Order: sequence, then C-alpha cells, then structure tokens
Amino acid sequence: MRNIYMIYGVIVLGLLGMAEYRGFSLASVNEVKNVPRSVRDNPGSYRSVYAVYHHYTGGK
Amino acid sequence: MVVGAGNPNPPAAPHVKALNCPGCGAALSLRSFTQAVTVVCDSCHSILDAQDPQLKILQQFKKATGEDPALIPLGTRGKIRGTPYEVVGFQRRTIHVEGIPYSWHEYVLFNPYKGFRYLTEYNGHWNDTATLRALPTLNPYARQVTVNYLGETYRHFQTAQASTTYVLGEFPWQVRVGEANEVTDYISPPRVLSSERSGKEITWSMGEYLSGRDLWKAFALPGEPPMPIGVYENQPSPFSANTKTIWTIFGAFLAFLLIMMVGFSASARDEQVFQGAYTFDTNSRGEASFVTDPFELKGHTSALELSTTTNVDNNWIYLNYALINQDTGQAYDFGREVSYYHGYDSDGSWTEGSRNDSVAIPSVPPGTYFLRVEPESDFAHGSIHYEVTAKRDVPQFSFFGIALLALLAPAALITWRSMNFEHLRWAESDHAPADSSSDSGGDDD
Amino acid sequence: MTQPAANCPNCGAKIVFRWSSSVQTVCEYCKSILVRTDVDLKKVGQVADLPPNSSPIQIGTEGVYNHHPFVAVGRIIYEYDQGTWNEWHLVLNNGSAWLSDAQDNYVVTFAAPGRKLPPSAKVGQQYVWDNEAYTVSTITQAHYRGVEGELPFQYWDKEDVVFIDLMTEHGKFATLDYSDEAPVLYLGESVEFEDLKLRNLRSFEGW
Repeated sequence: MRNIYMIYGVIVLGLLGMAEYRGFSLASVNEVKNVPRSVRDNPGSYRSVYAVYHHYTGGK
Repeated sequence: MVVGAGNPNPPAAPHVKALNCPGCGAALSLRSFTQAVTVVCDSCHSILDAQDPQLKILQQFKKATGEDPALIPLGTRGKIRGTPYEVVGFQRRTIHVEGIPYSWHEYVLFNPYKGFRYLTEYNGHWNDTATLRALPTLNPYARQVTVNYLGETYRHFQTAQASTTYVLGEFPWQVRVGEANEVTDYISPPRVLSSERSGKEITWSMGEYLSGRDLWKAFALPGEPPMPIGVYENQPSPFSANTKTIWTIFGAFLAFLLIMMVGFSASARDEQVFQGAYTFDTNSRGEASFVTDPFELKGHTSALELSTTTNVDNNWIYLNYALINQDTGQAYDFGREVSYYHGYDSDGSWTEGSRNDSVAIPSVPPGTYFLRVEPESDFAHGSIHYEVTAKRDVPQFSFFGIALLALLAPAALITWRSMNFEHLRWAESDHAPADSSSDSGGDDD
Repeated sequence: MTQPAANCPNCGAKIVFRWSSSVQTVCEYCKSILVRTDVDLKKVGQVADLPPNSSPIQIGTEGVYNHHPFVAVGRIIYEYDQGTWNEWHLVLNNGSAWLSDAQDNYVVTFAAPGRKLPPSAKVGQQYVWDNEAYTVSTITQAHYRGVEGELPFQYWDKEDVVFIDLMTEHGKFATLDYSDEAPVLYLGESVEFEDLKLRNLRSFEGW
C-alpha cells in the first residue's frame, strides 16, 4: 500500500517538476503555424481563431 | 537422582473413557480423560457430572428446533500455536440487547499436557481464547473505563448478561443451560480481555482474533469458513498501520513540494521582456489591429505571462492576442476579456470584474517574438487606455496547488476509510456513536 | 546423597526414599501410608484407590524451574466441588517446592514462613508480601482424596480444609493453606507447561 503511494507521489512531483520547468499553463491557447511575415505590414490580414468573437458575453 | 525400583502397579496410561448415559443409555466418551467437570449426552441432552463415577444427571434441556450445529465437529483435531488440540465441547451463549437476542458459539479445545483453550465465533469472526494467569488492573476513573494488562490498555466495549442456551460435549467447569453470568469485554485489537463473573468469582480470559480461513486450514475442515459479517470488536483494522505510514510519506512529499516551490521561484527568470501602452478609440471605424515591436525571449522553453492593465470603468474591452515568432512563423493565439463594473444598490456598493488581467502562455520556446493585438469593445463608448506587459519564465503556482491536492487525496481517502471501519466497530458496542442507525445491539466475547 | 532404605512394616517390601528429608511416603505395593520415625517406618493409614486422574505428570517426572532441576516425588490429590487437582511435591537441590496442577494450569509455589497471616479472607481483598500486591481470587474448600509417593510432612487428613488463592498483576501466585490451626503461606508463580521442560511424563492414548 505505501509503496503504491510512494510511486504515485513521485510521479505527481515528477509531473509537477516537468510542468514548472517547461512552463505549462492552464490557459487555453491555440497554436497557429506558418504565420506569414506580411502580418507585420498588414496586421489586419491575420485571421485569428478568435476573430468570430465579436460580442460581449459576460457581466452586467 | 536415581529413580527408585519400578512401581509394580504403575498407573495405566489414560485412555478415552467409554461410558453410558444414565438418562438414555447412549454411549458417551470423555475425550478430556478425567478433566471434564460436565459432560452432555448428545442423544437426550442430559447434563451430567463428569467427576461422578455414576455420572449423576444435573440438568436436562430441550433441544430447540432449527438448532445451529457446531461448525467444527466434536473430536476434530487441529493445531493452535503449534500445539495439537481436540474439540471436546461446544456451547451457544446468548445476550439480549434491547429485547433482541444475539448469540455466539464457544468451542472447548483440549490437550492433555497444555489443558484447555477456547474458540469463540460470532457472525464468522473467530477468536482464540485462554484463561489468564495474571490479573489485569482496572482503571475505573478514566473517562472511558479501561483495563491494563501486560503493558497494553484495553478499552471497555460491552457488558452484558450472557446465558448458556445450548451445550454439547465436555466442559472443565459446571455448565447449566439458562444460567446467566455477567460478561464484560475490553478491546485492544487484535486482542480482547473478557471478564466473567459468576457469583463473587471473576475469571479473566484473553482472546486473539483469528481468521476463519487460517482456522479451517489448521483443523483441515472441508468447505469454506462462514463469511464474516460487519466489523467485530477486536477485529484488527486493515487501515490503521497504513494510515500512519501514508501520512508520514505525505509529510515527506509536502516538504519536497515546498522545496520545489522555493526552488522554482528562485530560479525563474521572471524577466519583463516587453511593455507597451495603447489607447483604443471606440469611435473609430478603422482597422484596430496592430503589431508591436519585436522582443527577445531567452533561456529555456518556459511560460510567458502576459498582463493587461486597463482603465475600463463600467465598460469592457476584448483583446485578440497573437504571440508570433518572427523567425518560425509559429503563433500563439488567444483572447482576453477585461471588464469592470461597479455601482451602488440596497446592499451597498458592488463591483464586478477587474480592470486587469493576466494569462500565462505555455511552453514558449526561446526566440524573437512580437505581438499582434486586435482590441474590441462596444461602439462609441469612449477611449480605453491599456498597457500590455510580457514577463518571461514565471512560475505557475496553480500547479503546486494541484499537486498538493493530488498528494493529499489518497491520505485523506485512507483516513476516511479507517474512520469508517472504526465507526462500524464501535456501532456494536455499549458506546455506539449517537448517530449510528443500527441499534446498539452487539455481541460478546 | 544417601538414600535411606527401610522395609514396609505392613508387607515387608523395600522402601527407597528419593528425598532424604521425606517424612511420609506410601508403600507402592500395599498402599500403606508410612511415617518416618527416628528408627523406622510406622504405618498410620491406608490409601484408598486413587481417583482416576489425567495429570500429565507422574512420580519420577523431571523438569526445570528457574534454572533449578527438580523431580516430582510425591503428591496430594485434593477434591472439591468442581473436581480434583494435584499438588505435586517437587524436590530440588536446595529444598522442596509444590507444583499445583489443576486442569493443566501449572503453579509452582514455595513455603514462605515468617509472615503475619490473616485467619480468613474475602475475594477481592489485597495483601502485600515481598513488595507485591496479591488479590484474593478464589476460596476453595477441599479435602484430601489420596496421597502418593513422598511428602515432607504427615498428611492424610480427610477433613475439609480451606485454601485461599491469590494472584497478582504479573503472574505471581500465593496460597494460604488452612490445613493446620496456623495458616501456612506459599508464594510462587504460574508457569507455562513449556517452561518447565518436563521429561518422563505420562503418555495418553491417542496423543
């Protein structure tokens, strides 16, 4: 019983260490590849995944 | 010393005596040679004086219908603690708790050199019991009555009037069906101390919990032992030892976790790599998106914390962010909404939301990056000022919290199960917790 | 150690004493109770048939108590309302002791003279001897049922006598013997069968 817990704890701490070192985060971020350099000249041409989000959804 | 001349009339080696019951003539055998005080005729249920050569009848009892037979038949032999014993007697004892009868069984075991031992059985729970030589000490003034014996403290579990309701075989004391004695049990799992008072005399015995399975093996009995029901008074808890060790290991893990927290906090760069201040004019209909100057992210792959501080007042702003790697074309795309409202009503002043926001972009490799920002808000609601700050390699404390809960969960679970087990144990005692739904009925011995 | 020898005044059989200080013995052949005087043996009574008993110990059983070897040379069988028990007379190098054998519960006691003893006692009363607290556990009325072998005193009295047993928290044991007018105290302890390392025991059929 205690051996199982020890292995479990080591795995938890191991995952924690990895997460901290690699900079994991809970935020939901989309990765987009191959954004062309022309975005710097024309920022409006970038089609964001969130571009459809035009309305406000929260609070008063 | 020299043994003298041989005795011309040496005592014959004792053999099992074959006798006849004076009540019905059935054959009886005394397995415990001359040590039995009482013997019961199996056929007519006469209780006989085994010390009387005429086997005087002391009592006769009626066998009730639907009798439960002895699970270990008389005459069976088995080894307990390395010594062979033979089952010579069997009795059923009953107590009444709130009008409900509870019965357990006792088996008398005999070895001609070691004497008598007893096996008790209740609901599939077995105990190996023997009379004590030394006296336990009572502590009647403790909050809960306890008894000390050989350095161990036993807690009071139950006191009840126990009467014999069925007998079979031989007993080293006088047995009568129906006579009641006060029996008290004190527990220190896996052991139990029982005191039995008959008249003024008190006899102490100690029992140790035995598994039915081990017993069936020791006596080579066919079939399976009866399934144990519930938790018995001195049944050892399968959790108690583990609970202690798990909390100790948790303590070690907690210390390690704290060290990791300190370590990561200290070694993180926590370096501000970009800061920009902007104004969003909600009246304008032009293209709102723009790109920032590039900035360098150094060191190993780590999180990038992006903070937005605004001056919204009863307003909101939504920012489409994209963190773009200038060289690889890789982008991290996300949106943040910042809103802040406040007012005053019958309960007082209230606020909702916040003027600031912070998000961590995970695992950003080193390189040269810039931000593409596209703000959004309600049309024609004035200007909103906001500042964007990026910090490289910021420790994520939420993960420490998650790890702590993950480590705590098994320890909490096993503690809960252990407490549950103990609750079931004490539900059968005189000290049942008030909220237990089962009546404080129980067992003895 | 010399072994005094004599002849039974009743049947003439040869009597050998295992213990030089024996006061009483029983002739194995004619069951006469013989008491030793300075000169020779005197018959004082006859032992009736011994009751059947199943003590694993017999005359000649040897063992060890507290690193002292002993031999069982005699016994008294007592009878009470629940049955019988044996008091085996043990002879060790430095004296004699008693091994009580009651349903295979074994207690070794030694005569403990020189103490002030109560004329009677009740269950639960406590007395302190040698810095130990003894509590009265049982009071038994018993009478002699038979004797066998050698005893350190004369005993064949058939009247009921009172025995008061006391126990302590640590396994020590005491008996107050009221056979004579002045009670006699025996102090000792319960022992486990294995610890006595008994040899030359009786055999039991089937065991």
